[in-house]
Amino acid sequence: MPKISVTIDDKKLDVDVGKTILEVCKENGIEILTMCHLKGLTDVGACRLCLVEIEGVNKLLSACTTKIAANMIIRTKTEKIKRYQRITSELFFAERNHVCSVCVANGKCDLQKLGYKTEMNHIRYPYLFPECNVDTSHPWYVLDHNRCIMCTRCVRACGEVEGAHNWNVMNRGYQVRIISDFDTPWGESVTCTSCGKCVHACPTGAIWPKAIVQGQLEKKPEIIGELVEKRKMNL
Amino acid sequence: MDSSTKRQILISPVTRIEGHAKITLQLDENGNVDGAFFHVNEFRGFEKFCEGRMYTEMPIITPRICGICPISHSIASVKACEMIQGITPTHTGNQLRRLIQLGQALSSHALSFFHLSSPDFLLGYDSDPSKRNILGLADKYPDIALRGIRLRKFGQEISERVTGKKIHIAGIAPGGMAFPLTEHNRKALLAWIHEATETVQIGIGIIKKFHEENEAMVKSFATSPTLYMGTVGPDGEMELYDGKLRFVDVDGTILQDQLDPARYLEFIAERSVSWSYLKYPYYKPYGFDKGFYRVGPLARLNIASKMKTPKAQKEFEIFKAIGNGKPVHGTFYFHYARLIEALGCVEEAERILHDHEITSENIQAHGRWNYAEGIGCTEAPRGTLFHHYKTDDTGKLINVNLLIATGQNNPSMNRSVLEVAKQYVKGNDIQEGMLNRVESTIRCYDPCLSCSTHAVGAMPMVVEVKDADGNIVKRIERN
Ligand code: SF4
Ligand code: SF4
Ligand code: FES
Repeated sequence: MPKISVTIDDKKLDVDVGKTILEVCKENGIEILTMCHLKGLTDVGACRLCLVEIEGVNKLLSACTTKIAANMIIRTKTEKIKRYQRITSELFFAERNHVCSVCVANGKCDLQKLGYKTEMNHIRYPYLFPECNVDTSHPWYVLDHNRCIMCTRCVRACGEVEGAHNWNVMNRGYQVRIISDFDTPWGESVTCTSCGKCVHACPTGAIWPKAIVQGQLEKKPEIIGELVEKRKMNL
Repeated sequence: MDSSTKRQILISPVTRIEGHAKITLQLDENGNVDGAFFHVNEFRGFEKFCEGRMYTEMPIITPRICGICPISHSIASVKACEMIQGITPTHTGNQLRRLIQLGQALSSHALSFFHLSSPDFLLGYDSDPSKRNILGLADKYPDIALRGIRLRKFGQEISERVTGKKIHIAGIAPGGMAFPLTEHNRKALLAWIHEATETVQIGIGIIKKFHEENEAMVKSFATSPTLYMGTVGPDGEMELYDGKLRFVDVDGTILQDQLDPARYLEFIAERSVSWSYLKYPYYKPYGFDKGFYRVGPLARLNIASKMKTPKAQKEFEIFKAIGNGKPVHGTFYFHYARLIEALGCVEEAERILHDHEITSENIQAHGRWNYAEGIGCTEAPRGTLFHHYKTDDTGKLINVNLLIATGQNNPSMNRSVLEVAKQYVKGNDIQEGMLNRVESTIRCYDPCLSCSTHAVGAMPMVVEVKDADGNIVKRIERN
């Protein structure tokens, strides 16, 4: 594979063409915050956490959806980036109703971890407190819209890996919601195979198994990427 | 009566109880107390905002109602969940829950007695109010204060070692517990037993001495007879974690026995009153006016036929002698009852820690939604607690009813306050010592009004004397 030279955080690297900035950073041990990215799924650039600065480009770009190009000079940890990441995590918390203390994902939640990583000690934006439904209709799983951050990992895991395409996105702006089929209760879905991939893909306490309580949640998001790899091997 | 001559004395907030509260004393034209209302102004809306959630989340949500008895909420809640699922917890799961509930009762009783009440007994009711608290106690009786603090710590350490958290524990799951107890933690807890037993016995010594030296007051302190309700085991033994309900009347005659808590609505009715957010529960067969009943430590000893452990049984017999075998109605005996219970808690904790299966990994049975309705009941430190859930056929809550101990004691609390106020308060000549006795009536019940405030003594008190039109005619502030 042809190589190109780039500079990331003042380090010169020779890397493969055709990769995203995020992939290159991961391969080289450069940490980048992500949320909507999940190995094995198509990246969509939804969460805006993986922002990087590229010299000569006057806006921040998402590392997960930007392909690396020769001679790029990239910075991943500038004050500006940190400021934006903190704003983003605050907005996640302000948008819906996250009460971590009583959440099934407490202590095991990627959004919580993000809050710590971005040193979010308070939220400067007014909470929206939207009224959100808790869909308990599925016999095994719950979808609590209060805790959904619209990363769409469930949508992609279901559509791209399971091939069922039960999940989709409805509305825009603050009214945006994940829907099952054509906005029917999950338990009435004709496409859902109850495989549980969305449960593992979901980074928060939005989708969880009914059988567990706080402290017992064990999500394995990495199985999505592993499944995809295994299938390639079978081919 | 001419309304302009009617005055009200307001004591607000009541110091050294956990939460915000306000007492209004109604004076007649001669300056005699003729009405007493203990206002509970904390309304936290839990019943309403839990609607729409999964029933299995309740053992984690409801402990947030209270920072002192969170475990009782979790346990009542998880039992309601188990009724919905139709499952029984494993032996070890049950024993671990029992253990943390004993720990909670201990730390709660230690707080009530050593931190909040013993300053009155050891320093005197009429001593300087700014020093009549745990800090003042630490000054004069450092050993007792330290022991009290450590007893509370032991209780919390039980929670921590069983569940990983001191206060708002995790791991109480339908079917049992989520995490097993390690051998290391079992041993560490056992190491506390000796000290904890001693401390409770010192407490018992303090209260007995106070009883002797203040016999007249103790015997006459808010003694109106009431009914009592609480949980007993199969042989009528005092029970905190799991059992059946018993009601006794003012003479100790058993009105109901071995009552399945799921039938509580057949025996308890509730009425809302205009001056308080707490509902007024009463014993249904006797009606609102005659159906006052009390719950909590005093009630539990009054209804029980015996204790489960030897040291507590010995004290229990002394306690029973006070009432010649009949219920002890004097509100002051709440303190003694609390300590006898605490003694039983330490003994039972030791017993459980020696259970061969306590560190077993068989901690949880598994179930799923099967029935629409669940009722869970347990003894919180302050009395019997009920959680009642109704769900739709996916497990989503459509109705939640919580019957808490303080609510059940509230009607009697008002009456006790009135009695004491009649005895000690005359006119609007307000002296610190008298007011404190009214407060201390409330403290006997150890009400948990919300846990937003854990006032240790220093809380300022405002006393307002109001006439019937709401005009303040006198105002005293204590800082
Ligand atoms: S999903 Fe995560 S951030 Fe949201 S309430 Fe649950 S633990 Fe907190
Ligand atoms: S349900 Fe979970 S995975 Fe799906 S969009 Fe919401 S947060 Fe992401
Ligand atoms: S991870 Fe790149 S935008 Fe979400």
